[in-house]
Amino acid sequence: MKLFDKYTGILLGLALFAGLLVAGISCTGETTTTTSSPTATQPPVTTTTPAVTTTPASTDVAPLPAKARFRVATTTSLYDTGLWGYLEPMFEKKYDVEVDILSLGSGAAFEYGKRGDVDVVTIHDKPNELKFVSDNFGVERVPFAYNYFLIVGPPGDPAGIKGMNPEDAFKKLMATGEGTFVSRGDNSGTHSMEKTIWTNAGFNYADVQKAGAWYVESGLGMGPTLNLANEKHGYTLADMATYVAFKAKLNLVPIVDKGSLLLNVYSVIAVNPEKVTVVKNIKMANNLVSFLTSPEIQELIGKYGAKEYGIQLFTPCAGNEPKG
Amino acid sequence: MSFIELRDIRQRRDGRDILENISLSVARGEVRALIGPTGAGKTTLLRLADLLDTPTSGMVFFDGCDTSASEWVRLEARRRMAFVLQKPIVFNTSVYENVASGLRWRGQGSRHLRERVLEVLEMVRLADYKDRNARTLSGGEVQRVAIARAIAIKPEVLLLDEPTANLDPVSASRIEELIEGIIKKQSLTVLLATHDMAQGQRLADKISVLVNGRIVQTGGLREIFYSPMSREVAEFVGMENILDGMITSCEGELAVIDVQGHTIEAVTDCHSGENVSVLMRPEDITVALTRVSSSARNSLAGTITRTLSSGPFCRVEIDCGFPLVALVTRRSAEEMGLEPGKRVYATFKAVSLHVIRR
Amino acid sequence: MTELWNGLLKALELIVTFNPEVMAIAGLSLRIAVTSTLLAAIICLPLGSLVHFKQFHGKRVLISLIQTFYSVPTVTVGLLVFVLFSRSGPLGGLNLLFTPTVMILGQVLLVSPILVGLTVSALSGVDRTVTDTARSLGASGRQTAFLILKEARFAVMAALVLGFGRAISEVGLALMVGGNIKGFTRVLTTAISLETSKGDWELSMALGIILIIIALVINVVLNRIQQRR
Repeated sequence: MKLFDKYTGILLGLALFAGLLVAGISCTGETTTTTSSPTATQPPVTTTTPAVTTTPASTDVAPLPAKARFRVATTTSLYDTGLWGYLEPMFEKKYDVEVDILSLGSGAAFEYGKRGDVDVVTIHDKPNELKFVSDNFGVERVPFAYNYFLIVGPPGDPAGIKGMNPEDAFKKLMATGEGTFVSRGDNSGTHSMEKTIWTNAGFNYADVQKAGAWYVESGLGMGPTLNLANEKHGYTLADMATYVAFKAKLNLVPIVDKGSLLLNVYSVIAVNPEKVTVVKNIKMANNLVSFLTSPEIQELIGKYGAKEYGIQLFTPCAGNEPKG
Repeated sequence: MSFIELRDIRQRRDGRDILENISLSVARGEVRALIGPTGAGKTTLLRLADLLDTPTSGMVFFDGCDTSASEWVRLEARRRMAFVLQKPIVFNTSVYENVASGLRWRGQGSRHLRERVLEVLEMVRLADYKDRNARTLSGGEVQRVAIARAIAIKPEVLLLDEPTANLDPVSASRIEELIEGIIKKQSLTVLLATHDMAQGQRLADKISVLVNGRIVQTGGLREIFYSPMSREVAEFVGMENILDGMITSCEGELAVIDVQGHTIEAVTDCHSGENVSVLMRPEDITVALTRVSSSARNSLAGTITRTLSSGPFCRVEIDCGFPLVALVTRRSAEEMGLEPGKRVYATFKAVSLHVIRR
Repeated sequence: MTELWNGLLKALELIVTFNPEVMAIAGLSLRIAVTSTLLAAIICLPLGSLVHFKQFHGKRVLISLIQTFYSVPTVTVGLLVFVLFSRSGPLGGLNLLFTPTVMILGQVLLVSPILVGLTVSALSGVDRTVTDTARSLGASGRQTAFLILKEARFAVMAALVLGFGRAISEVGLALMVGGNIKGFTRVLTTAISLETSKGDWELSMALGIILIIIALVINVVLNRIQQRR
């Protein structure tokens, strides 16, 4: 019995083609149909629903039909704090470009850059950034802002490490075994910062991992790790931006926030088109580097979030390596 | 060439011949019954005739065309036929849509289609049920839907496989009437498979007897019922008395046959000295209490061994040196007081016997 | 538990006020899941029928294999599609990575095993006599196949609903190949994942509730359609 003759084949092919067409239209439609109000570049308004309204809704941005898409991979903390959402429309308006922002872990951001799937990366992982540039994947590492990592913990500070420098604090944690420490344990930027502190404090990290029940590896992202530390009344190392975003839900306070080791520098690196030949947008990438380091944007970065979180989230550093 | 012609068909399945050496010709307008016991291969033969299956070897011609030419030829031929399967199923949709399906597959225009469907539903008396889901119908109703669905397309050939086998007697006779009406009204060519010999007798012009995958005899009703060509056919058509013997002498067409020391006279064209079987129908034997002198050539004395009532008839088993079965009306059995142990005479005409060579 | 309650209130608020961003995200979710399910159906129903109706060697093995892929992790499919469509990948020239189109393609891949496998099961559930009956009434091969699909429509519909459910609820693939780009490839699930990592659990919960409402509406509509027939 012959069930599928050539007509069925043709029919099927046509249907498939039509389907793809629909799919194609549906996504181009997304970029071309828009505009409900001209309030595109108003600064973020903080209300009761910050996540939705801190940044103007995408439908408020009015891109021109033929605009090129420009892709940025960013570390999550720059995105989750809303900084990118704040800067994106300004950049788009200034350079008449449609920016796609991918919020990722630092490792993934580098990988996307190497494959040429993004044109530029904004990250905070100095050793790997230097390697990225020395391997010719990146053009140049340009720091544009910084803040600090924090060791946060329960207000009672059971290990008594408040006000110490991070190396001494870790030494004391190890010595007393008082109070739980929750590690990211996921090879993220924050995790590699933690390992650096252990090393500087004179420990072999492999020994730390086996030190005892007080040392817990979560294997989770920053937010969930903060929650875990909160539940366990323990300490953890956190980037300031994420901590600030979660602060209201946590009963954790900054315990250690001093020390040059805790410096957290954000850099922008354009993907090198000579090495990664598939990227085509080096001009726009350079525009972004200039934009982020320009005086007016630097000022905005410095002020960003101050009102909402009651703390300076980022200190601008205009292309210079800050000194802790 | 006949309208439907099967030539030297063999159908093998699972290493077994379901059908072998089948040749069958059905003329246009003929109603042919295929009778035979269950498992004889009737369904397999009908499926081949409807071109649902292809034979292992042999040819199937429809209206003069070799149907092995292409799938298209087979589809076109199949579209001139309709087949009501043994256990008909209905599609999970309304009665109306079920009946319309064959017409839709032929790309029938909607106005004509509606008219025809309603007409056919009227014919099978299911017009009131047209919007009901066919899955909710009873067995007899399902059979009616299946028949309506088949005849809606105005087929030239109607294939019926045991149309009443799964029904209660009342539904069965209704369906049979319905089929009879359809056959009479529209000069259809019909191929009807049944294990019910009486049904074949009632509906068909001609009968083919299928036993163990072979057609053992084809002929008119009389021929099959009174002159079966073999023991198998004889058994199937109800010739219960089968006596083996040898012809001792012949006088024209009248032969004297020796059956276990008893003499029986019969009309046959067999010759003296041949080993034969004598076949007779139970209803052709009369039972009497005294030897009757009549035109009947044979009258054998015996003792009744068993009597068995069956509806208005009574089966009487008599030992005349060999067993004989006679069928008498129940009333006469009572009048004569027929019961086991009673001495009787079994009488039968020479012409009512059928003699076949062994 | 307060998060749940507040999430519910927030979901109501977002729906009642027709929050444009949430509506756009929900709309995109719906469009991508529906498109990919329909596309997958166009491919998989005939494919499933083919597997069901054709007799060939290794059929059982193939069916087991298809069933194994019911449980392929969404991220794995995402990774595959990512590598294919990455600018350095074989299909990088199409420039489709991080677009809704590639999300649809990925979801088609994701739900295809379910649709093919369940189509085969659905058709196997149809009485073999249906085939004979249809052919004897003059149906061509294609008409027969359509009839059998129609006979199996409840089971096939269930397969579609399941496929749609997997498409609209998956997050790994959408995140990986869509990139969760605001206003372009952000769908409900990736938005939920983002808001959760940002700590806005109420909004996450609200978006989750909206997703469930969409699924509910789709199921109710499909059930209505089925019952009418």
